[in-house]
Amino acid sequence: MTTIVKSLALAAGLTCAFAASGEAVEKHKVFLSMSYIGNDWQAEAANMVKALAASKDYADKVDLQVQVAGPNAQRQIQQINAMVQAGAEAIVVYPISPTALNQVVKNACSKGVKVVAYDAEITEPCAYNVTIDQEEAGRKTAEWLADKLGGKGDVVLVTGVPGTSVDIARTKAAKEVFAKHPDIKIVGEAVGMWSQAVARTELSKLLATRKWDDIDGLWMQVGCYTANAMQLEAGKTDDELLPCAGEGSNGGRIQALAKGTEVEGASSPYAPLGAPRISYASPPYSGALALKLAVDMIEGKDVPHHTTLPLPLVTNETIQLCETGSWEEMKSGCNTFKPSIVANPGWFGSIFSDQLPQLGLNAALVGQPET
Amino acid sequence: MNQAAVVTENRPTRAPNAAPAWYAGIGRSAARSRATLVAIVVFALLFLVTDWISPGPITYFDVSFLASGGTTLALAAVGQTLVILSGGFDLSAGAVISLVNAVLAANMSMTDMEASVVEWTAVGIAVGMLVGAFNGLFIAFLRLQPIVVTLSTMFIVQGGTLLVLEQPGGFVAPSLGAFYMGDAVPNLLPAPILLLGVVLLLWAWLKRTRYGLALYASGSDPASAAAIGISVPWVRFATYVIAGGLYGLAGVFISAQTGSGDPLVGNSLLLSIFAAVVIGGTRLGGGKGGPVGSVFGAFTLMIVVNILLALNVSAYFSTVAEGGVLLLAVLFASLSRDSVLAEQIREGLAALRARSAGLLVTQRPKVDHRLAFAARRGAEAGAATPVPGFLERNAETIRYAAPAYVALALVLVATQFVLGNVLTNFSYWNALFVLSTFLAILALGQGAVILTGGLDLSLPWTIALSGILLAGLVRGSDPALVYALPLVFAVAAAIGLANGIGVVMLGLSPIVVTLAMNGILQGAALLYSNGTPSGFASPALRWFMTGYLGGVTPVLVFLAAFVIGATVLLGRTSFGRRVYAIGNSLEAARLSGVRTGRVIIAVYVLSALCAALVGILLTGFSGQASLGMGDDYLLPSIAVVVVGGALITGGRGHYLGMFGGALLLTALQTLLAGTTLPYAFRAILFGCVVLAAVIALRERRTS
Repeated sequence: MTTIVKSLALAAGLTCAFAASGEAVEKHKVFLSMSYIGNDWQAEAANMVKALAASKDYADKVDLQVQVAGPNAQRQIQQINAMVQAGAEAIVVYPISPTALNQVVKNACSKGVKVVAYDAEITEPCAYNVTIDQEEAGRKTAEWLADKLGGKGDVVLVTGVPGTSVDIARTKAAKEVFAKHPDIKIVGEAVGMWSQAVARTELSKLLATRKWDDIDGLWMQVGCYTANAMQLEAGKTDDELLPCAGEGSNGGRIQALAKGTEVEGASSPYAPLGAPRISYASPPYSGALALKLAVDMIEGKDVPHHTTLPLPLVTNETIQLCETGSWEEMKSGCNTFKPSIVANPGWFGSIFSDQLPQLGLNAALVGQPET
Repeated sequence: MNQAAVVTENRPTRAPNAAPAWYAGIGRSAARSRATLVAIVVFALLFLVTDWISPGPITYFDVSFLASGGTTLALAAVGQTLVILSGGFDLSAGAVISLVNAVLAANMSMTDMEASVVEWTAVGIAVGMLVGAFNGLFIAFLRLQPIVVTLSTMFIVQGGTLLVLEQPGGFVAPSLGAFYMGDAVPNLLPAPILLLGVVLLLWAWLKRTRYGLALYASGSDPASAAAIGISVPWVRFATYVIAGGLYGLAGVFISAQTGSGDPLVGNSLLLSIFAAVVIGGTRLGGGKGGPVGSVFGAFTLMIVVNILLALNVSAYFSTVAEGGVLLLAVLFASLSRDSVLAEQIREGLAALRARSAGLLVTQRPKVDHRLAFAARRGAEAGAATPVPGFLERNAETIRYAAPAYVALALVLVATQFVLGNVLTNFSYWNALFVLSTFLAILALGQGAVILTGGLDLSLPWTIALSGILLAGLVRGSDPALVYALPLVFAVAAAIGLANGIGVVMLGLSPIVVTLAMNGILQGAALLYSNGTPSGFASPALRWFMTGYLGGVTPVLVFLAAFVIGATVLLGRTSFGRRVYAIGNSLEAARLSGVRTGRVIIAVYVLSALCAALVGILLTGFSGQASLGMGDDYLLPSIAVVVVGGALITGGRGHYLGMFGGALLLTALQTLLAGTTLPYAFRAILFGCVVLAAVIALRERRTS
């Protein structure tokens, strides 16, 4: 039995060796281990990673294989092990858990595999992380809201997925800011699970026992677009919309454009309303940047263990509509896309990175690089 | 009989130097444990496939990795198998794994690098057993339905876990990792395999004790078991405690494997645990199968990860491929001369032959052949029997449906008390009914499936795919609804038809068919939308869900009509009666002339249509469709049906009760959302209230 297994394996190994030698250029074998792909953010991030791997600069260098682990950390552990065994030079990973992967990542590191995590963190010291400062995100947005309210009023919080480090870092930081203003009261707290659809049902439950008039401001991790739409449905006018500190969905940003702005494809509530907003995001390009860093490392460059991305903040003052969404155009400061191009208002708008000239709007939408 | 021996024999990695005498034992038990053997063969085949397609020979390290990767799932699956053998169902398994992980990580001291393995393993197992005892208490002695009790426990434990460990972190001593992840015999036997071997040996011993026999007996037929003197409640209680201990051990193992804590780590394992059990050949409903198969089922699920990687299956196809593997594994296991598929083919051929010979029942003249005395007696009886009063006729229905409404009333009073000004406030009622609509509609589909003794796990992605299809088709245009709605319903009907055919024609467990379908639909939704769903609901649909018609949201009118229609459908039509007949006894229904296959298929079609309707309404409610929009509706859809008085094994339940369940759950969530309690306390309260509601549903005296 054992000998049969071994000879079969050997045969398999040989065929693979022949297949590999047939290729002209030696490409770096890089794997992407994604988490659950059933949401907008993950799909967008995956598109951008694929676009970077397909771009002129990387197409000859990288052989990227994308795998999905689902929501189950056990499977991601298994998957990363399998990737190491399959001869990965680097593994780009969206970690399902910041801690559960530590042992397997340590093992990968010990075999010389570079592991780069994006968006969420891996706490194992040998891993490389590409994230925003979640605490800063919570603090800055809460400060903006407190400022807008003049330090006084009743606010509602819509948080993320309970039990995750990201949710706790953001929510804690925001609550600390509100605690400094004795006249700001948190009158409701809903669990939004980082989903526009959940934000809608949770806010509806909250408003079953309350009126919009009882609320002065909203601090949400995801859901400002939905909250504005709900206020319009409840009979509020555009001028009465509450200030909302929240995520970087394109729909929410279009709403923040000054009322009367001409925008192709706009229809209420996905239309300019002049809604008072601050929009922050965990940018979906972080996966692509993680790939870039992984390739840099394979090529011998030095990369810090923690890359903190600049926090993309957009307010009514800095909002600017893009014409085409090319990288060049975004470099000059535009940050919002026409509904005629981006049909999904829940789509995340923070896709610009000055380090990734290969990626424009098409990369995020359909996985097509600029060059 | 020696199942532990079977395990070690079939590990391809170990030298087969066992005594030949064992083979005789295998031969004798082969017929009885066929499903288990097939599970082992499936795993062995997949293992060889992995070996074939992966570059390089499979080394001891590969095996060691594979073993440690699947052990958590395997241990939990063994626990779940015992529960299922006893005729139960345990939804708290994943939550217990998280809890034990959190307890260990939060309480181990950072300075104690050499923490005692025995001590902490005992702590983990004890925590698991404690939760198991809680489950067992309510299920065995208060005779509550396992699915609701364990669902409530799941919420309570999840909340408790967040109180123990708020976020990922903590510390698990490396001594645990060294012990569980290391080598029992260097370069020959990885510790995880030894651990599983020990667990299965213990099971082999347990199976031969009086408890083992009683377990199978009470799972197969509780009434007969009680009649021959088995204390069924104690057997059930012990089973939940032992299963809890195994989840605890799984929690200890995952702690050792990860070296730290994550309060969410086990929660997503739940569906995989059920899949592992079913692939392993254990039949839901009890009495058949065993833990050995489940261990291999667990490893089959984990090795699929390696196969998908080696074949470089595209990300969007991975859930489709997984669903396919799940179906094929189970189908393969069921192939035999007396499998349902073979029987269907035989029957189909026989029907064809009968048709050509002109002997088919439907070809015979439609003359009433009723015997003369039967008609006479019927007439007499009809005249003599007095019609009982309404309350008397519906006493049972009311008793089972009432608790949901009583609990609802209590929650409403509590809401008034805590949040004030709600009962007289019309907008509260409006919001409550609008939010209940989704669950009320799902309750009809899921309820009908449950009434026939099945379960539909494909709801989440049927909802999402329908919503995404609709949004993509209408793109904000009202006239487009005219063709978009029929199209979406047609797709849903096809999904339901496929589910039903899988259950009826292939004879597969509903859980497997619908779970695999869910994965396939997820892939379909991703492929159709290319990852980002586009389009949005039309103005009319948005108005329907969020607008006002004289102060009332229009969907409420529809809801009222739907509730009446659903009540009539299940209670007053021949279709409804057939559904109940099948749930009470499939065989009896078939012998009384019910075309059971057609009715079961129709029930799955109904469920898929209801899910599609929810997808459409949710799209109108949110304005657009999103991936994963159906994820939060699976467990609640089951919960409302059972809280509303239905029996999870089928045959009992009334739609109005389920509607009450939907209202109760929504009102409760609304109350909790109105408070500023931390999420952990909300989860615990939610679980406690659901549990309290079903205590009132208790069977007074059975078995």
